[in-house]
Amino acid sequence: MSQPILIVGGGPAGLSAAHAAASAGRKVTLIEKEDRLGGAPILSGYAKLVPSHEWASDVIGAMVKRVVDNPNVTVRTGARVQSFDGTPGAFTATLKDGGKVEVGSAILTTGFTHFDSVNKPEWGFGTYPDVVTTTQLEQMISSGKGVRCPSDGRKPDRVAILLCVGSRDRQIGREWCSKICCTVSANLAMEIREELPESNVYIYYMDIRTFGLYEGEFYWGSQEEYKVKYIKARIAEVTSDGKRLLVKGEDTLVKRPISIPFDMVVHAVGMDPNVDNMTISSVFGVKLNKYGYIERKNTYTTLCETSRPGVFVAGSATGPETIDDSIAQGSAAAMAALTFVPAKTPAEAAE
Amino acid sequence: MPIHEKSLIRPEKLVEHEELVIEGMDVSGHWSTFIEGRSVPDYNETLQEEIAALPGGENIHRCWQCGSCTNACTVNALNPDFNPRYWIYLIRMGMEEELLRDKDIIWQCVSCNKCTYACPRDVVPEQVMKATSHWLELKGHTPKSPSMIFDEAFSEQVFERGKIEDGLVLREFFKRTGQPVTQPWLVALVSGLVKRFPVFYLMKLGLATVFRPRTRGWGKARDAIEEYVHECEERNRRAVGLGTKGAK
Ligand SMILES: Cc1cc2nc3c(=O)[nH]c(=O)nc-3n(C[C@H](O)[C@H](O)[C@H](O)COP(=O)(O)OP(=O)(O)OC[C@H]3O[C@@H](n4cnc5c(N)ncnc54)[C@H](O)[C@@H]3O)c2cc1C
Ligand code: SF4
Ligand code: SF4
Ligand code: SF4
Repeated sequence: MSQPILIVGGGPAGLSAAHAAASAGRKVTLIEKEDRLGGAPILSGYAKLVPSHEWASDVIGAMVKRVVDNPNVTVRTGARVQSFDGTPGAFTATLKDGGKVEVGSAILTTGFTHFDSVNKPEWGFGTYPDVVTTTQLEQMISSGKGVRCPSDGRKPDRVAILLCVGSRDRQIGREWCSKICCTVSANLAMEIREELPESNVYIYYMDIRTFGLYEGEFYWGSQEEYKVKYIKARIAEVTSDGKRLLVKGEDTLVKRPISIPFDMVVHAVGMDPNVDNMTISSVFGVKLNKYGYIERKNTYTTLCETSRPGVFVAGSATGPETIDDSIAQGSAAAMAALTFVPAKTPAEAAE
Repeated sequence: MPIHEKSLIRPEKLVEHEELVIEGMDVSGHWSTFIEGRSVPDYNETLQEEIAALPGGENIHRCWQCGSCTNACTVNALNPDFNPRYWIYLIRMGMEEELLRDKDIIWQCVSCNKCTYACPRDVVPEQVMKATSHWLELKGHTPKSPSMIFDEAFSEQVFERGKIEDGLVLREFFKRTGQPVTQPWLVALVSGLVKRFPVFYLMKLGLATVFRPRTRGWGKARDAIEEYVHECEERNRRAVGLGTKGAK
């Protein structure tokens, strides 16, 4: 049993799986649809990551290099799998360009898609240039240009971050929490206050989910050291008085309507299922769960199995995940694929 | 009062003492305003279930108090005391007495459903407002609203005959709300109609007021509808812990 492993998706989960399998001596083919590896943190230009405060380009960049330099790994960027046939232990993946790859198993690390804020029009994205997403904010910081209002390049004096945009909302069929956006928002708020000490940063929340050890450093830290203000309200709408943005809502703790001017409003966008998931599901013959992510067969025992034997899944392809958890799952999936023994066919069993 | 939060406290709970010393500390006067603790001994533990059992109240337990309904609300924009989120909270906590303080504005919901489209949990607050008004009425806290009375006069005729006769609906409505039938605007309307309508049509209208229109073979349908309506009414009464009203 030493057939090559196919890995689809070159983000943190896929890079981790490729490294693990290749380090164990297995041949790996890594397929990535974009023209470079690295997944969301690289493709969307994230700045300093939670929780390590290291730059995404440094740490995820190092993961990319480690995989590219490994002689056991064949990387195919700008590629997609068109069909996936055969039986566990003897699959053939046919790529869009006609190329064929023979593998014994596959790992899907196809990740997520950022929620598109135009689907919540009342919150002003797409209408007002100074309404941006956390992804854009990450890019402002990672590009070195700093946090500026897109409309005229001024330094924002007042910034509002709205949590749960595209998460936890039945109106748009998204009944999940995206897990990391609270902590990422607290982190970004601190970054803004660090770069622009004169600024005022407000976070509008329904619940704060800076889970585990993120509580002290990010939630408390942003309040205690960086004086970020938290307001318990889900806002009604973002409008403009011609000069500044107006955020309207109810401060539920004091039962009082609020309408507050801001220079910049940031949507903490959620992690949608990958828009490709319907195709991925039919090409690889794997089930999706009711939310549209790739379904994991087990929670315990054997991690990372899908509904199809020999096809594994890891990272945010299964639901909202953090980078470190995606990396851990990538290694687990590699382990599952390395030790995978196809069930015997009835004929083989009879011999 | 510079401290906004004081507006959240009922005035009778704010107390100042001319002279008061506690453990050697002088806490007399304006600078030491006390807030008397609120004790709510009479929680109605079943309030949420009662409202949830009325049509429209089904999803109230989903609410997580985000405030989206209130900040989207048409009536709240005019009257900040009209606060669906807050009432849902009171109902869920069983604070019946607090809820009753607002009994005369809860029914003012205009059913625009802005809250419904804003609510991330699909509570359908507009329906909860309906259920709450219904509850207030069933429990005898509020009289029937004029629109409710009109609806009743209207539907009773439909149940009875499968058809309505506008004149009779109006007359019933005026009678039940204690208004004179010869409303100036109505007289003006009718005499306007008489001037403009063709004679044949007027005759038909006249006949209809004498021989009330009736859907042929309606009897069975009427019995079935009445039975169903009676069943629903009884279910609602049971839901809020009231005895049966007796067969009609
Ligand atoms: C604004 C924002 C900030 C964040 N910051 C942090 C942070 O600081 N710390 C943290 O832990 N997490 C953070 N996250 C979460 C983080 O982005 C994810 O945990 C991580 O990207 C998941 O890695 P992944 O490999 O599972 O998926 P992805 O990063 O989405 O990678 C999937 C890869 O698969 C490729 N792909 C997709 N479909 C196909 C296909 N059909 N064929 C071939 N290739 C395909 C994609 O191009 C991509 O390269 C953040 C998320 C957001 C939205
Ligand atoms: S992590 Fe926070 S911001 Fe993100 S969906 Fe969950 S609660 Fe909302
Ligand atoms: S339906 Fe009623 S409660 Fe809802 S927004 Fe309209 S007026 Fe307000
Ligand atoms: S919008 Fe829905 S969840 Fe939010 S407070 Fe109103 S009823 Fe509750």
